Amino acid sequence: MSRAIYWISLVLSMLFLALPLLLVLPLAFNESSFLTYPMEGFTLDWFKIAFTQPPWMPAFLNSLKVAFGAAVVAVVIGGLAAMGTMLSGRFGQIILSGLFISPIVIPSVVLGVAFTYAFGRAGFGGGYISLVLAHAILGAPLVFLSVMTSLKGLDPELERAAASMGASRAYRFRTVTLPLAAPGFMTGALFAFVTSFDEVVVALFLAAPQSTTLPIALFSGLRDRLEPTIIAVALMLSLLSLMFLLVLNWLQQRSRYKTRGK
Amino acid sequence: MSSLEIKNIDKFYGATQALFDVSLNIEMGEFVTLLGPSGSGKTTLLKILAGFEPVSSGTILMNGRDISLLSPEKRNFGLVFQGYALFPHMTVHENIAYPLKVRRVAKDEIDERVTAILDLVQLGKFAGRYPAELSGGQQQRVALARALVFKPDLLLLDEPMSALDKKLRVDLQEELRDIHRTLGTTFINVTHDQEEAMHMSDRIAVMNHGRIAQFDTAFNLYRHPDTRFVADFVGKSNILDGEVVQEGDTAMFRAKGVAVPLPEAPTMLEAELMIRPEDGTVEVEAANDGRIYLPGKVLSSTYSGDRALYSLAMDMGENFIVYGSARSGIHGDGARVLMGFAPGDCTLLRKLNG
Ligand SMILES: Nc1ncnc2c1ncn2[C@@H]1O[C@H](COP(=O)(O)OP(=O)(O)OP(=O)(O)O)[C@@H](O)[C@H]1O
Ligand SMILES: [Mg+2]
Repeated sequence: MSRAIYWISLVLSMLFLALPLLLVLPLAFNESSFLTYPMEGFTLDWFKIAFTQPPWMPAFLNSLKVAFGAAVVAVVIGGLAAMGTMLSGRFGQIILSGLFISPIVIPSVVLGVAFTYAFGRAGFGGGYISLVLAHAILGAPLVFLSVMTSLKGLDPELERAAASMGASRAYRFRTVTLPLAAPGFMTGALFAFVTSFDEVVVALFLAAPQSTTLPIALFSGLRDRLEPTIIAVALMLSLLSLMFLLVLNWLQQRSRYKTRGK
Repeated sequence: MSSLEIKNIDKFYGATQALFDVSLNIEMGEFVTLLGPSGSGKTTLLKILAGFEPVSSGTILMNGRDISLLSPEKRNFGLVFQGYALFPHMTVHENIAYPLKVRRVAKDEIDERVTAILDLVQLGKFAGRYPAELSGGQQQRVALARALVFKPDLLLLDEPMSALDKKLRVDLQEELRDIHRTLGTTFINVTHDQEEAMHMSDRIAVMNHGRIAQFDTAFNLYRHPDTRFVADFVGKSNILDGEVVQEGDTAMFRAKGVAVPLPEAPTMLEAELMIRPEDGTVEVEAANDGRIYLPGKVLSSTYSGDRALYSLAMDMGENFIVYGSARSGIHGDGARVLMGFAPGDCTLLRKLNG
């Protein structure tokens, strides 16, 4: 009985999550330029178009650049924030955590408006820098959370042990705390990267034509000329995400293995 | 001769007091154990010695120098944690090399010293492994090696054996003693296992409710405990509550149904008398040999080959535990017997107020 429930709920939830994707993905190989079934033969042309014709490749590269920059800035900001928060008292921790996490809870439309206005006033609206900074602010809380989690998971006795062996605070931090929290930084960086990579709302507010990102290109593609290239791009993006997921999983596995044995 | 002097330490955690006027003088090279029930303040005292907790009042003198305000990294004390606290991202070699790297020892010398200490704890083959790849006993020895490799002035151990099984614990106790003899470092060990304390220590500080109840050798703690608490905590004992009265020339201890002559007149009036289980015998009839015989009956017995441990219900109302000879059979449950003991084998305990 419970096995039946297990399988039914598993299949249903998989269908719910994956069905829309599975229904639409085969159309990337459809010879017809209309997004309709039944399919009319097999082709890889749409992939070729995605790789050769604008806006796809430039938008993809833009997205990579923005996501990479955003991830780096987010790791610095979120990581420092987490480390500082860890060092403050109980009450301070509550307040600081709330502040650093707040970008997640604020609706992105509101943030988009705020960024547009602020960056425009500061004189660098519409460029890479504004996108990178905005996405970094969206990604920093994710880095903050994952670094906090891994710092909190550290056995406080390790630091004490290092102290008893004569290590100064800075040396302890560099040789014990930081290496052990590294998986947290990596996870956070990946999350920040992925978040930036498929962020639409804020990018819509901030992107100029020359800094259009892939999600925006997809979005406008849907509106302007609905063709299977979009599906081809979506398919490749899904594969990329899957890869990220695997890397993430592997990172977590590894950190768990190392700190086993307790 | 250098030494560690702990003088009148009080420790408060907020409003609760964890240590009351703790004083200990520890000689260089001694193996001292802090023994006491859970919550008696052992870890607190160890943390204070290590520098992780400040004292509320009192001083700690190391070779005459006050170290009570020194931070942990400046004390040069080795520390073995209950959970070992090995660095999971470093190999055994890197773990042990850590304190030497901190002290900027040259690489060749680091390798030399790590190898030597690994040999001492018999882990030479494991230098390249990560802590997660070691058994509990091996991890414990790495922790010990790491705490000793930089030649600390003092080694502090917080229940180093508590996570290990009985057999391994006994082996490691032996090993720890040997290492202590070889190196001559002062060891301060924390445990609530009285057997472990008695096997390993030169002296034992018995703690109770944040106070030092008695600081003495294992022999003296067992044979001459100051108080009922120590008598109960260190080994098994039978304790009678009574009073001291002067009868003619001799002082007598009197409790309900018993009178025991005392070798010398004590100063106290209210007292307790301790009889260890091995100081009594279980007999069928009394002999006229100056010993005291108290009637009772057998409640139960545990046979262990060389002897039997009897639990007796005495006619005077107390329950006693006494070892009896088991060479010619064991008294069955319910059998009427006499428990015999010599007055000279009893120990008079000081009665604390309350
Ligand atoms: N950080 C703390 N804050 C408040 N009270 C504490 C703290 N640490 C210990 N105590 C209290 O101090 C007393 C002594 O604790 P301690 O940890 O020294 O006991 P222990 O002898 O090591 O016990 P155990 O054998 O269980 O480890 C206990 O009553 C405990 O509740
Ligand atoms: Mg403790």
